[in-house]
Amino acid sequence: MALNKLTVNEIVGRTLREFHSGQTIVLGTGIPEQLAVLSDPAAGFQFISENGVNGYISGSDGTDDFGLLNSTNGTVLGCPGSSVVSTEELAAMLRGGHVDFAVVEPSQIDINGSFTHWTTDKSNGIFAPGSALDLTHGCKRTIAIMPHQNSQGDSNIVQKCDGMVDGVSSVSMIVTDIAVLTVSDDGLKLDEVAPGWSVEDVRAMTGAPLMINENVKEIEFSQLAESIKSKVCESGLDAVRDIVDGSAVMIDGFAGPGGMAHYLLVALRDHGAKELTIISNTAGIARVVNFGTPPGRLAIDHSILIENNQVRKAIASYPVSPSASRPSAFEIAYKQGDVELELVPQGTLAERLRAGGAGIGAFYTPTGAGTRIGEGKDSKIIDGKEFLLETGIRADYALIRGYKADTLGNVIYKGTSRNFNSVMAPAANITIVEVDEIVEPGELDPESIVTPGIYVNRVVKRPEDFSGYE
Amino acid sequence: MSPTKVYTSLMDTLFDMRDKVTVLISGVNSGSMPSGLINALKDCNAKELTLVYSADVGGRGEAYRVIDSLVELGMVSRVISPMPFVLGEESAVRKAWESGDIEIDIQPMGILSERLRSGGAGIGGVFLPTSLGTRFEENKEKRLIEGKEYVFERPLNADFALIKAQKSDTLGNLTYKGFGRNWGPVMAMASSVCIAEVDEICELGELDPEKVITQGIFVNRVVRAES
Repeated sequence: MALNKLTVNEIVGRTLREFHSGQTIVLGTGIPEQLAVLSDPAAGFQFISENGVNGYISGSDGTDDFGLLNSTNGTVLGCPGSSVVSTEELAAMLRGGHVDFAVVEPSQIDINGSFTHWTTDKSNGIFAPGSALDLTHGCKRTIAIMPHQNSQGDSNIVQKCDGMVDGVSSVSMIVTDIAVLTVSDDGLKLDEVAPGWSVEDVRAMTGAPLMINENVKEIEFSQLAESIKSKVCESGLDAVRDIVDGSAVMIDGFAGPGGMAHYLLVALRDHGAKELTIISNTAGIARVVNFGTPPGRLAIDHSILIENNQVRKAIASYPVSPSASRPSAFEIAYKQGDVELELVPQGTLAERLRAGGAGIGAFYTPTGAGTRIGEGKDSKIIDGKEFLLETGIRADYALIRGYKADTLGNVIYKGTSRNFNSVMAPAANITIVEVDEIVEPGELDPESIVTPGIYVNRVVKRPEDFSGYE
Repeated sequence: MSPTKVYTSLMDTLFDMRDKVTVLISGVNSGSMPSGLINALKDCNAKELTLVYSADVGGRGEAYRVIDSLVELGMVSRVISPMPFVLGEESAVRKAWESGDIEIDIQPMGILSERLRSGGAGIGGVFLPTSLGTRFEENKEKRLIEGKEYVFERPLNADFALIKAQKSDTLGNLTYKGFGRNWGPVMAMASSVCIAEVDEICELGELDPEKVITQGIFVNRVVRAES
């Protein structure tokens, strides 16, 4: 009796069992796009198209009103909580390690998890990877879903790919129409077989050696029920509670009160974590400069952490008060030798933060060449001009001040308060956003979202009676 | 009166098009590509152009036929692209490449877009991990940064960008719609002269400043798409 291979729907069903609510999955072209079609929208996964839509469900209502495309340029619909980004932002998102899964359909894959995506006989030698390298490079896990054999009956799973590869040792799991395999340092392991298939049946159709999981089981397809996870925290203290001593924390606020997460700063002071490295434009000058501070009150800024002996180091571009007679808390601590300082020019700071969030190791910038900023740094002459090598900056936490966020963490800002916030949000392991208003997914215009929820871990509402002054 | 960047004719926006320049073309399909501008480009007296664009797997239709016709007219000497034509379909770009008439320089999407951003942002180049272990790392400087290996990618600037956007004001501030945002913002930054073909031109103040995606500072000329 002929054995039945899995249908596309069944392959997709098995693959969907890998994901949990809140996870993000970028879909390559081909079968992977069916994940967005067949996934239960209530499952809380967010699918990403290589054309720059975060959060979509596939299918068309025939109107193309939203003008969104999936990876093969089929029309898709943004689902509540979706956002739109441009090509270089999407690539930065992928390379920066912000996406949980990539799902691709390679034409061939080898025992090391290296694969060939588009280079096929049809392409006649032109190697056109499109976004295949980007899809798999930064994602935490890459899953390949593909037919086990090609139309000629040759195994798509091989000892070594015939042609040039798009992804090097990047795939960790393979779901085919007859089996589920994992890729490990020791080689390929067969974990699951299609109903009715034996280990030997699968082995006979596989062009590479297989180890067999001792608990090999039958593939299941049904989707697991999970509910959508909200990123909303009850209070500021809840949001910062896990910040441990010695953490690096990004805190914006260009100089004045605008764009500063006052409520989270106070929570961090109350929480009390010490030996912090703070990364910001200033190291807190609003407290000593009158940026509209009401008489008799003090602005809340980074100074409250310094006054509370929580800071060991600052990375900043403007860590001094403009008035020598009113030194900032940081200046006083610095003069006493209590804190360290790494001085970075403002534009370089912004670019280093962007690099940190975008998976860029380092970059050359002309800013600071020939000044003290360049001392001890590698430099390079490019087209007759000197450039300094600057590295990306990442932090453990970012405390972000937004205007509105939805429960999935999509954020919009108001006016100049956007300043460093939008570039810090992608550069931290845990990004916590304080906003005036939390709304339901779908209430923010996807085109207007500045920080997609993919960068945001926690959202907290600034209490209406909370003041940025104390 | 603020100076206006608005032109009334597609052809007029290309008055200084010339030989041997690099032209960026935004979008991934007919709806998101500046079809009017690339059509007008056919009538320019310019040769040995380098075109930078991205076909997509499903990218078909009029816009690609226009790129094909630029190649057939002998105006193009080089193409830089993550995917210069749709695999398995008829393509003048492919034919010209096979017969040695044009050069094709394949660049993965994220590398190409970051090279353009570097060019637009005055960055002298970036160290990216993307090409490690593939043929795209060949002949490039490698460097260990904090224990991880990276590959140097040079910035890419262009003489012209022809981009498609949804709305513009008279200073060239742009908004996009959906996937139309694709390559436009980064190409606008990376070009000496950026020309935007838009569906609607509005007065100053009509675009919400929070929703402007490409600042007018990057845009030199604006023209309305012909319906």
